[in-house]
Amino acid sequence: MGMRYKKILLFLLIICITTISGCWNKKELNELSIISALGIDKNEEGEYVKTFQIINPKNVAGALQGGGGGQGPAVTVYSATGKTILDSHYMGSTKISRRLYMAHTNLLVISEELAREEGIIKILDAFERDPEIRPTTTIVIAHEAKAEDIVKSLTAIDNIPADKVVKTLETSERVWGGELKVTLQGVIKKLTDSGTDPLITGVRVIGDPEKGKKIENIQASELDATLEADGLAIFKNGKLINWLHGDNARGAVWVLDKLKKTIVNLEWEGVKDVIGYQVMRQNTEVSAAIKNEQPEITVHVRAEGDIREVRNPVKLSDPDVLRKIEKLAEKEIKRQIEGSVEFAKENKTDIFGFGDEVHRSYPDAWKDFGKDWQETVFPEIKVDVKVDAFIRRTGLRNNSYLSDYENSH
Amino acid sequence: MPSFFKRHKRKKIDKVHNNKKEQTKKEDSKENSSQNAAGPLNRSLAANLEVIKQKTGSSPDVIIRRLMVGGGPPVEIAIGYVEGLVEEQSVNDFLIKSILNNDDIEVKNGEEILNKIEKDIIALGSIERVNDWEKLFQSMLSGKTIILIDGSSEAISANTRGGEKRSILEPSTQNTIRGSRESFTEAIGTNIALVRRIINNPNLWIEPRKLGTITQTDVSVMYINGIVKDEIVEEVRKRLDNIKLDSILESGYIEQMIQDQTMTTFPTIFHTERPDMVAGNLLEGRVAIFINGTPFVLLAPAVFIQFFQTPEDYYIRSDIATATRFLRVITFFISLMGPAIYVAATTFHQEMIPTQFLLIIAAQRDVVPFPAFVEALIMEVTFEILREAGIRMPKIIGPTISIVGALVIGQASVQAGIVSPAMVIVVSITAIASFATPSFPMAISIRLIRFLFMLCAATFGFYGIVLAFITLLAHLCGLRSFGVPYMSPLTPFIPENAGDTIFRRPWWDLRERPRLIGSKNTVRKGNNQKPEPPAAREMSSRKGDGDEI
Repeated sequence: MGMRYKKILLFLLIICITTISGCWNKKELNELSIISALGIDKNEEGEYVKTFQIINPKNVAGALQGGGGGQGPAVTVYSATGKTILDSHYMGSTKISRRLYMAHTNLLVISEELAREEGIIKILDAFERDPEIRPTTTIVIAHEAKAEDIVKSLTAIDNIPADKVVKTLETSERVWGGELKVTLQGVIKKLTDSGTDPLITGVRVIGDPEKGKKIENIQASELDATLEADGLAIFKNGKLINWLHGDNARGAVWVLDKLKKTIVNLEWEGVKDVIGYQVMRQNTEVSAAIKNEQPEITVHVRAEGDIREVRNPVKLSDPDVLRKIEKLAEKEIKRQIEGSVEFAKENKTDIFGFGDEVHRSYPDAWKDFGKDWQETVFPEIKVDVKVDAFIRRTGLRNNSYLSDYENSH
Repeated sequence: MPSFFKRHKRKKIDKVHNNKKEQTKKEDSKENSSQNAAGPLNRSLAANLEVIKQKTGSSPDVIIRRLMVGGGPPVEIAIGYVEGLVEEQSVNDFLIKSILNNDDIEVKNGEEILNKIEKDIIALGSIERVNDWEKLFQSMLSGKTIILIDGSSEAISANTRGGEKRSILEPSTQNTIRGSRESFTEAIGTNIALVRRIINNPNLWIEPRKLGTITQTDVSVMYINGIVKDEIVEEVRKRLDNIKLDSILESGYIEQMIQDQTMTTFPTIFHTERPDMVAGNLLEGRVAIFINGTPFVLLAPAVFIQFFQTPEDYYIRSDIATATRFLRVITFFISLMGPAIYVAATTFHQEMIPTQFLLIIAAQRDVVPFPAFVEALIMEVTFEILREAGIRMPKIIGPTISIVGALVIGQASVQAGIVSPAMVIVVSITAIASFATPSFPMAISIRLIRFLFMLCAATFGFYGIVLAFITLLAHLCGLRSFGVPYMSPLTPFIPENAGDTIFRRPWWDLRERPRLIGSKNTVRKGNNQKPEPPAAREMSSRKGDGDEI
């Protein structure tokens, strides 16, 4: 009797195990359309236009081996419109034969126009809520372009355009420091935080977007249309208000401590851009203090690097000269950072998270500043930038051959 | 640790067995009485020979040689043996010749001549007296020679066992690179001797018995007295005595009759054809069961981890042995779950596959008309067919099958778009991994369970795999081999024995025998056995000038 009761109980438990579990769903690989990138625009009627960049696995190099391989493009793009983001997503299914699968979407493109006029706040909820989309999906702004133009452009080397954009940002962030790879969750976190505002990298199409859609585009050695990372979009209240470019952008990346390597061009004896100082390592610390009831920010940068280019004879074998160059580098880095800080102050948006730093260090004082931090406190804040730059090596030689050349002539 | 033995269960079983025993005993006695050949021998030689003739159905290989002995009134004696089971030369030289050469013996009656032959004439080592039919037939049919004497109700049985048998060859299933090259043969005497040669110790005890009501197969239980746990020997004896089969043709008959748990695919008794492996296991406190007619010797109790160990693990350095054991654990998981993980990942959890890899699989899957599970099933079953065919077919056809197998499965099916290349890779890796498990019964049981895992993966994805794995673990932890938990010393965890599981600690550090298996004498070796380099003479002599380092 006991055995039978136990067996029935076991059977019921097994049934429960299979039914009370969370969502599970069988989906065969050849029933999925794997989306690599999504673009969001707004059309004249005020509807969202969602552009799906769907990977065509057979046409991706590397997968060519077995199936005879197609000659077509690596991706196929569809657009759908809807009154909401989700609406446009499901309208997409009327055009696409397979189930839209977003777990491998690693690029989200938002058009500049949409970001300026409506802002990005209302858009992102649909993405954050979706169980398929990864929180680590990279977000970019289509700079002076429609999001669909970015999504539709074909790229060479990296066949999947979304891959190309993401990898460009990664590489550029690592070796140049003028761009940032920001993720969906990173943007949302900064948007909801009163002490900081997000920075999102812009991507633009260089050339003719129409030609970029054609496969002929990637069959030439020089592409008719390429995608290029360009500038950092700065936001205020969730809306795009301005762009950071060049040294200003790099200054912002310095402060955010996201910079890994970069090149700083130094002036020598009145001649510009003589010495190339390559930063190999850097560490930035932002600290806040309250003096005279006003917050003050200290940005302390410590950079180590090599001298990798000398265009005039400079006596690098002399330690005093190196010390002098170090001072020059410190000055130049400081200039870049201060330029960036000034720009942010003018736009009244705290992209550096100085507010967060004050909040963390002085939670009580933050109650006073917090409300109108962006509007009144941040633009007036005193920022003290300290830079310590060190030269560790001078490449494979010290004095340039240019010194010998000079001597012999 | 007696708490691990499930005594209450065993009692129940015993009762059942005892009842059966009594029943069968009754049947046996009935059978014997009807045949008129039980009980003691007759005094008349002619009557005795008549019974032999009748009992053996006048089989031509039962040779009866009648001789006249004695100088006085000659007494007739008969020498009986089975052709092919005896060593003819020793029968001729040491029995017949010696008896014929002793013509001049003075004898009065059969009893005296029996004494004389036993004490003076037979030039053989092992002889004994037989006085009942059952024993007589048993010794004759196991290769002994019987000497019957007219006028005596006793016979002499002389050990002349011999005849054709396979020589000792290299093991064919459990090969090692380093270690003994000997393997067991079909002859039980040879097999026991092979182990005796390794363990030269009087404590190596052997208990012979006959099993199989018709075959009367020789079965011997071997253990090392003083190391083995008495309870285990007692348990082995009891289980062997309970066997009432008409035949024992291979060790598998006994294995299936004495295992603890029948509802499992996992082997709970180990078998080997290597004498060194038997010796090693006896030294850990296990019991070996030798069966005549098979080169496979049973070892009990067996634990799970044992099936992933090879004798070579103990012969090579411990670091290398540990690394290979880790590898075997990995192959265990691959062969258990390889296709299941592939099916689950490609049909449920595409988000877990790196994008580039997913695209490669997706491109291949695009042309495949079946769901991934069906695809995996097709390939797995095909492989099993190939494997099974490979064992049975004549060796000459081997290359043909491998060409057909490789071409049809490896290439044509991929080109035809029936299966994807990725699936072929997964199935191949799984197949190779399953052969990396040293024990065949373990490997095949894993292969069987693999299909269960695939089914779970196809219905519930990783969730199903996890469920199946938990069930499997629970099942494994519930198994016992002669009362010893199957998963020991992992669960229950015995720290002293954990050094010889997935790891193999060096010999100088491997102090304890398995706790649950051997008990009386748990320590293997002396203390401080770690080899050290000799203290350098220069270093110590230089101490004066170069000290305080």
